[in-house]
Amino acid sequence: MQLNRVVITGLGVVSPLGRDVNSLINGLEEGRSAVQHMDGWEQYTGLRSLVGAPAELQGEKQIPRQKRRTMGRMSIFAAQAADQALADSGIAVSEISSRKIGCIIGSTMGGAKSISDAFEIMLPEKDISQLNSSMFFQCMAHTAAANVAQYLGLDGYVMATSAACASSLQAIGTGYDLIRLGRQDILLCGGAEELHPTVTGSFDVLFATSVNYNQTPQKTPRPFDKDRDGLVCGEGSGIVVLEGYERAVRRKANIYAEIIGYSTAGSGEHVSQSNKQSMVHCMREALKDARVTTKEIDYISAHATATLQGDQAEAEAIRELFGASAPVSSLKGYIGHTLGASGVIEPIASLVMMEKGVLFPTLNLEHVSPECEGIFHVTKQTKMNVNILLKNCFAFGGINSALVCRKK
Amino acid sequence: MTEQEIIDTIDKVFEESFEIERKRLEPQAHIFNDLGLDSLDIVDLVVALQQSFGVKIRNEEGIRNIRTLQDLYQFIFTIKNAESNKNS
Repeated sequence: MQLNRVVITGLGVVSPLGRDVNSLINGLEEGRSAVQHMDGWEQYTGLRSLVGAPAELQGEKQIPRQKRRTMGRMSIFAAQAADQALADSGIAVSEISSRKIGCIIGSTMGGAKSISDAFEIMLPEKDISQLNSSMFFQCMAHTAAANVAQYLGLDGYVMATSAACASSLQAIGTGYDLIRLGRQDILLCGGAEELHPTVTGSFDVLFATSVNYNQTPQKTPRPFDKDRDGLVCGEGSGIVVLEGYERAVRRKANIYAEIIGYSTAGSGEHVSQSNKQSMVHCMREALKDARVTTKEIDYISAHATATLQGDQAEAEAIRELFGASAPVSSLKGYIGHTLGASGVIEPIASLVMMEKGVLFPTLNLEHVSPECEGIFHVTKQTKMNVNILLKNCFAFGGINSALVCRKK
Repeated sequence: MTEQEIIDTIDKVFEESFEIERKRLEPQAHIFNDLGLDSLDIVDLVVALQQSFGVKIRNEEGIRNIRTLQDLYQFIFTIKNAESNKNS
């Protein structure tokens, strides 16, 4: 069976560094951290991590009210990122009559604030009569996908991949498979997530958050660093437009990259502990799918969230496969861990890095932790021709995923 | 609460919850056809009215017959009148 080639022709982002791709890239270029102390979080008893990387919610009134009313913060971010990605791709949804244009947008969960608000309204008196009609649509797990599809009038596949921090990389990977197989012509793929004390709290109870930098927030997270102490949650959304190569060439679209390999796999071991061998397996399968060798990988965009165990396992997995041959950096020092959106925001940044021929370093990596040594850490902005890149996402739930892209 | 206060409160709900300019809020305006509300909006309208007037109206039969803003004003007048008669 002849499989279609799949390319990326549009990018859109709302990130803690700004509300479009340029602001994200400018922030990375300037080495800027978007992490800040979260005022008001002190009121949560037991919450030790008081830092976060918020994105700015702005311009939402441009979305018509009846489309916007069912959108929580994360769906608004997703709709705005989707608007940007479509505009960037030059595709007008109204001109696509095949019913094969859809979206796959993942997230860890529905809108965290909406879920919290719904419980606050309902639980004290066990009374549902004050819940409004849109609450459910903001809380549901597929809120971003459903809302973006309604907003843009997409009538093809509408799916939500929910796999915590691997959600949006799974969305891109699933979109890649669907277009490869000819089931869809165009897919808007990505993810969204929102920052909320209940979200940070869910990591905090597992001792996975950064707690030592509440007064110096820009010093954390510190991926691969000896003084790292955990992750910092961020928020935002990223969307990429995927379509068949032939189609993109025919309409003279700007092609950022071709997706050439993808893999996702469970560790089958533990719901929260990282597992080096399953990471190795996942990366290896993605490379096999891409038909490239480890020597051909020019850059690895690491998952590295700055947890003690996760960074160690990823460094060991990369070391086993690549040694020190491929430059590695994590972007979480700049924008925190955008969770369900990280598997698309970080690849978008990586695609621009590929286009510009520059690698952005791991922010806050000052002294490589001994257990994370032996791989090629990018510690300063470096000019480098990147032809093929690998993106990793390793999620709670023991779910790994990896994507390989080649420059066009 | 005077009738004018009730009208102002209802108009405020339409302005704030449904982003409809006050100049469009004519008593004869049809809530669906002229003001563009749909079935989900009606759920929110009921919640907003319950909060604004401190009443429970979700299960009131009369609510199903409301078509225009005037119908709605009248519906709330009746509810509030019944309430004050009960209290007096």
